[in-house]
Amino acid sequence: MTTLAFAILLAACMVAYALNRRAATGIRDGGQRLHSVSGYHGLFALLMILVPVLVVILLWLVLQGTVVNTLIMSSLPDGTLDGLGAGQVDLILAEIQSIASGRVFGEPEPWKVAAAERFSGMLQTASLGLVLVTALLCLGIMVFARSKVSAEFRARQGVEKIVSGLMIFCSVVAIFTTIGIVASLAFETIKFLRLVPLTEFLFGTSWEPQIPIRADQIASTGAFGWIPVIVGTIVITIVAIVIAIPIGLLSAIYLNEFAPKTVRSVCKPVLEVLAGVPTVVYGFFAILVVAPAIRTLGAQLGIPVAPNTALAAGGVMGIMLVPFISSFADDALSAVPRALRDGALALGATRAETVMNVLFPAAIPGIVGGVLLAVSRAIGETMIVVMAAGLMANLTLNPLESVTTVTVQIVTLLIGDTSFDNPKTLAAFALGMMLFIVTLIINIFALRIVRKYREAYD
Amino acid sequence: MDDLRTVSKDVDANNTKISAKNVQVYYGDTHAIKDVNVEIKERTVTAFIGPSGCGKSTFLRSINRMNDTIDICRVEGDIRIDGKDIYDRDVDPVQLRARVGMVFQKPNPFPKSIYDNIAYGPKIHGLAKTKAEMDEIVEKSLRRGAIWNEVKDRLHAPGTGLSGGQQQRLCIARAIATEPDVLLMDEPCSALDPIATSQVEELIDQLRESYTVVIVTHSMQQAARVSQKTAFFHLGNLVEYGNTDDIFTNPKDPRTESYISGRIG
Amino acid sequence: MTDISSGSLPLTTTDKVRASLAKRHRKQRILQAFGIAAISIAFLMLFILLWSQIATGYKAFMQTNITLDIFVDPAEIDVDRLPRGDFDDVLTAALLEKLPNVDVTDRAAVREASGIFSNGAQFDLRDRIVEDPSLIGQTINMRMPVSDPYDQLYKELLDRETPEELRRLNDVQIANYDQLLDAGAITSKLNTDLITNADSRFPELAGLKGALLGSFWALLVCFLVAFPLGIGAAVYLEEFAPKNKISDFIEVNINNLAAVPSVVFGLLALSVFIGWFGLPRSVPFVGGLTLALMTMPTIIIATRAALKAVPPSIREAALGVGASKQQVVFGHVVPLAMPGILTGTIIGLAQALGETAPLLLIGMNAFITSAPGTPFDSATALPTQIFIWADSPERGFVSRTSAAILVLLTFLIMMNAIAIYLRSKFERKW
Repeated sequence: MTTLAFAILLAACMVAYALNRRAATGIRDGGQRLHSVSGYHGLFALLMILVPVLVVILLWLVLQGTVVNTLIMSSLPDGTLDGLGAGQVDLILAEIQSIASGRVFGEPEPWKVAAAERFSGMLQTASLGLVLVTALLCLGIMVFARSKVSAEFRARQGVEKIVSGLMIFCSVVAIFTTIGIVASLAFETIKFLRLVPLTEFLFGTSWEPQIPIRADQIASTGAFGWIPVIVGTIVITIVAIVIAIPIGLLSAIYLNEFAPKTVRSVCKPVLEVLAGVPTVVYGFFAILVVAPAIRTLGAQLGIPVAPNTALAAGGVMGIMLVPFISSFADDALSAVPRALRDGALALGATRAETVMNVLFPAAIPGIVGGVLLAVSRAIGETMIVVMAAGLMANLTLNPLESVTTVTVQIVTLLIGDTSFDNPKTLAAFALGMMLFIVTLIINIFALRIVRKYREAYD
Repeated sequence: MDDLRTVSKDVDANNTKISAKNVQVYYGDTHAIKDVNVEIKERTVTAFIGPSGCGKSTFLRSINRMNDTIDICRVEGDIRIDGKDIYDRDVDPVQLRARVGMVFQKPNPFPKSIYDNIAYGPKIHGLAKTKAEMDEIVEKSLRRGAIWNEVKDRLHAPGTGLSGGQQQRLCIARAIATEPDVLLMDEPCSALDPIATSQVEELIDQLRESYTVVIVTHSMQQAARVSQKTAFFHLGNLVEYGNTDDIFTNPKDPRTESYISGRIG
Repeated sequence: MTDISSGSLPLTTTDKVRASLAKRHRKQRILQAFGIAAISIAFLMLFILLWSQIATGYKAFMQTNITLDIFVDPAEIDVDRLPRGDFDDVLTAALLEKLPNVDVTDRAAVREASGIFSNGAQFDLRDRIVEDPSLIGQTINMRMPVSDPYDQLYKELLDRETPEELRRLNDVQIANYDQLLDAGAITSKLNTDLITNADSRFPELAGLKGALLGSFWALLVCFLVAFPLGIGAAVYLEEFAPKNKISDFIEVNINNLAAVPSVVFGLLALSVFIGWFGLPRSVPFVGGLTLALMTMPTIIIATRAALKAVPPSIREAALGVGASKQQVVFGHVVPLAMPGILTGTIIGLAQALGETAPLLLIGMNAFITSAPGTPFDSATALPTQIFIWADSPERGFVSRTSAAILVLLTFLIMMNAIAIYLRSKFERKW
């Protein structure tokens, strides 16, 4: 039925285009001068139908499920849902849906079968309604658009207005996305803060998110102090940055100043390959190769190393960030005006001295901006730590031990069971909120530095 | 400005400082300098003039091997300073450039303090053992660069904060801080206003006492004002070379005459 | 050098310069050496990364099989009861024929021996017989994958020297295996199941079909949403937007979105698409929408760069003949910028293909044994499948994880190659 609705829309668009175009051509052939060429009259009709009807169909499809589900659940016999948690309610709904689709397991209660019948009926009505509404809307707009065709009608301006509107909508999607992120995070975080006080979340030194199995369970809330989680994040970020900065900067300096052209033209794309490797691959690399290697090394040196040491996750993350830092440093060094380089060389500075004393200091702002963006990436990086770092919050600064990170907690809290009413799920959103705020501040700051720096030498 | 009023100056019968024989410079496939022969005298200001793109800057940059820093650039022939071939294999361009200073078209102070700008050359070359020695070098260079009085109270302010003319004199002071004996100047006044230009020109005239100065300029008036010797380049050829007075009053080559009377360029 | 210092220059300066020269050049060489070392470390890591995946992954491209002549015993399998029947007994009987020294009455020994069959073997047999019931009563020749421990044994990943109690196969099982090997019943062939099967609990049966299709649907949705939205936004911001505070704000917004951690997009999708809109969990459609939001900034930034590269003279020429601003932009500027836009889009899609974290949050890491037919069927994606397999304890999944990684990397390399080809083919210097 949905396909039918789209087919009607498509057909209506084409018919309207042809109708209006022919009408306009007719007027022109009648000897009158058209304001807009006939193609624009057709296009006008097409867009007039396409845009609103498509919006209606999409909204209908998005909302249909929710509306039908709500109606079904509220039509159940009184008292069936009393005292049930959100998870159990979802289960009943899923059962009704599966009965409706013909997959019956065992002997369902009669009220479920009745609900399933109502469910199928409603779905049928809904899709029929969709087709009907689509057809009526298409027809109505087609008639309206056809009535607009006249010699004076400014079809081109009409089309351009619609196109402008569409483009503005596209641009605003970015803002909607940001608003969506902030709103969804804030919404769940506020719910979380009703269960766990802000001070406990921000300053608590113990992170043991647990779900209460029964409401009256002792110590059912667990502990939600994010300090060990953020400390773990910082430890891994520091390990990553300590590895990425020297390797990234030195390779940028070498490629920019010393490498022969051929070496440079080979090395840069290979470094890009390093940047293009998906993080899940880095994560598997960390558990398959790096962590065992570090453990073996530790055992030989007699140092106890945790199986999922922060060194493995941080080290691999550092490698991932190398191309990132090196390309920012490369850009920053290249942006230093040639005059400064010439000035130093003409004084008799060696190329190493030119780089270290003149170019590098001049490029510092650009490089700092790049490093900050790398830090923000390290904080927000998820897959490497989910696979290679620890799950238990462990308040330590020792990178040999196992620590957990904000992103690891978000993923582990949300994988599997996710109903929106327990503190465990909500805690993930609170962590997400903190992650978003921290990375946003770093990003804004870094992007501003980078932009200022570019302007200074442009 | 008094057009083409050549300043009569005695050209000492000095020794030859720089001698170039059959110099060719190539940029990739472009033959930028064709067979140039010239002898530049010691403690003299020599001006290179000619229309833009004639190769005068390229030639200047081959005197301190700055062309080495451009990958596609190739220099052939023989350039000697004090009789020593500077393209000889045992010559270190770093050491050469400490002796042959260079000032560029656009003032290019380092983004450091005025003091550090001057001290940079002596520091990397290890010319000063103590802080006092360095202070002395900085002061001497700034005085010779005729900018000491303007900056002595703010030696630790950034060099980029000075005005254009001051920046250029700072760059000249920076170049002479390593005690070079040759100073190359690549259109040093082209980015400056007339007042700053005249200050720099005055300075160039003073520098003649201790240095061999080679200046590239696109302004014939400037060449006439500051130089004793003038070389006219055209399309990569050295067309005419002689005393500045002679070149401007009595050019031998018709191309030189056309240029100084404003017909080509 | 002596020539230089014997000139008119004060001797001291040149001498001082020369004194430190060797040291300064040494410093330069040290810096250069550090630079080369840094690049070498980066390259070495890339090499180890790729090599470790190839070294562990290539084995998964071969699968050990057992070939048996199976008598489809009418006593065990009844035409009228199909698809039910004792298919596993039929298989075991065929196996025991090859292993005469296994005592048929010793149930434990029989069970140990039949462990060589993959769990899927009986279903393969069932499907074959259901398709053609006339096979009942006949003897058919069938090749089936062996179970994971035997596969490991064949690939020499299972060490016979390990003490028996630490081994996944005991001595009797290995002896049975050797007997079958000598009889020529054990063979190895290209593992097409890796591409044609969906996921399974059993490594020898697990394949990537579901993940490949899941990624395909998700990327398709991502492209259909992000491409028009991205181009629309970029064209508006670059060509039409008035230079004011609002445009600036949108621009800052887009740049920041490009740097928001991917897991945050997962949270957005979970709470908005699944929580508020009530879209189903684990489906590629939601995954694609999420990836589209993440890819859009990349496409916008690339498109704007491509539009900027079109010289103003072209706009002026078109405006000069009386075209409207929109006619100029859509008729001339956008088509000229299209190679750049496509390059940026492909690179954005390649990033989306490797993205994992947001897909985990919307449940695309579920265990699903059928490939999705539409974007609304539950599915995994390639990177989430890698994550699932990397998390699985069975040894056989280790090499399958690496194999999946190799498949993913192959796709990424192909996409990037297309992007590079497009860029070089259509690159224009104005």
